[in-house]
Amino acid sequence: MSDRAFVLFAHPCPESYSAALHTTVTDTLSARGWDIDDCDLNAEGFNPVLSEAERRGYHDEATNTAPVQSYVDRVQAATALIMVFPVWNFGYPAILKGFLDRVFLPGVSFKLVDGKVKPNLTHIRKLAAITTYGGTRTRALLAGDPPRHCVKRAVWHVCRPDKMRYLALYDMNRATDAKRAEFLSKVSQEMQAF
Amino acid sequence: MRALVLYAHPLEGSFNAAIRDQVIAQLETAGVETRVNDLYQHKFQACLSPDELSNYVNCPDNVDVVKSEVEDLQWADTLIFIYPTWWYGLPAILKGWLDRVLLPDVAFLMPDATNENIRPGLTNIKRIGVFTTCGASRWLTFIVGAPGKRTLLRGVRFICAKHCKTAFAAHYLMDSSTPASREKHLKKVQRSLAKLIS
Repeated sequence: MSDRAFVLFAHPCPESYSAALHTTVTDTLSARGWDIDDCDLNAEGFNPVLSEAERRGYHDEATNTAPVQSYVDRVQAATALIMVFPVWNFGYPAILKGFLDRVFLPGVSFKLVDGKVKPNLTHIRKLAAITTYGGTRTRALLAGDPPRHCVKRAVWHVCRPDKMRYLALYDMNRATDAKRAEFLSKVSQEMQAF
Repeated sequence: MRALVLYAHPLEGSFNAAIRDQVIAQLETAGVETRVNDLYQHKFQACLSPDELSNYVNCPDNVDVVKSEVEDLQWADTLIFIYPTWWYGLPAILKGWLDRVLLPDVAFLMPDATNENIRPGLTNIKRIGVFTTCGASRWLTFIVGAPGKRTLLRGVRFICAKHCKTAFAAHYLMDSSTPASREKHLKKVQRSLAKLIS
């Protein structure tokens, strides 16, 4: 099975620095011969709000995927998951948080066995997050860095990948052009080696 | 005292709805002026749009699309969040409320030449209560680092008044809850809220 990356991108503006990071990821991996499934959540008009009906049917593994079947298929076809997003209010943008709420369902990303979560996305062998923080690293650490934990512990836990990279540029509000360029080239190098 | 209750559960009749009802009744009994924003009922738009983002630092016009939410936020001195923890965090609709309403010059002041960090803008908020339910165990939530709790009780608290009081109660292992465990938890919420508003 060839490497197939599912790229989840969650910034609404095409002219943003996040969009530049996103392009760097897809270009670098394509050039290496990877299959890319590029999912720009805003461009695809993804609705992040788990509905009343979805909540009712959440635990019924036979039917719970129906409202988001195409997204489930795309996640299940991947051998790598790469998340590109800005950190807002010490968390994922709502549109990305909603992707987890609605698509990472019981029977898809995890199995509940005796009330315990068993990983079910073990076909994803490589996991990466590429992100930017408005605040400084110190401030993120003081807050307990929730997005880092969300990726490196919660998403990691259902994939159990061989490789995990969490690449972050802090203090975006004051980052110079040089700093931004440096981080872009770091991301490109990391994707070369991914 | 003026409390803004933010509630985010899609199902009427859920345990979260029971927590909401108890909290509102308790606030009213204690003479606390209360406003409730039921985000699902109001079909709150969760996604920060490209327009909003390009207008993000354009104060004060940036508040135009969320005027009533901002008005509630500035009216309140107490914030109460009631929600189910999904994927260790806030439901997207509630995360979207933070993304869209906690704007520059409302919730925080942007860094400038003399200030390295953002500065608090919600100095009117003196109390935050977080009442949630978790499918995961207390242990697993701890291992993952309780991101939802930290987003609110650290991230949001950073931009509130100095010495802002906090209250937190979570019912863990919600999927195997019993009437007794839920009853016990409601009592815990009651004690926790009483302390917060005392």
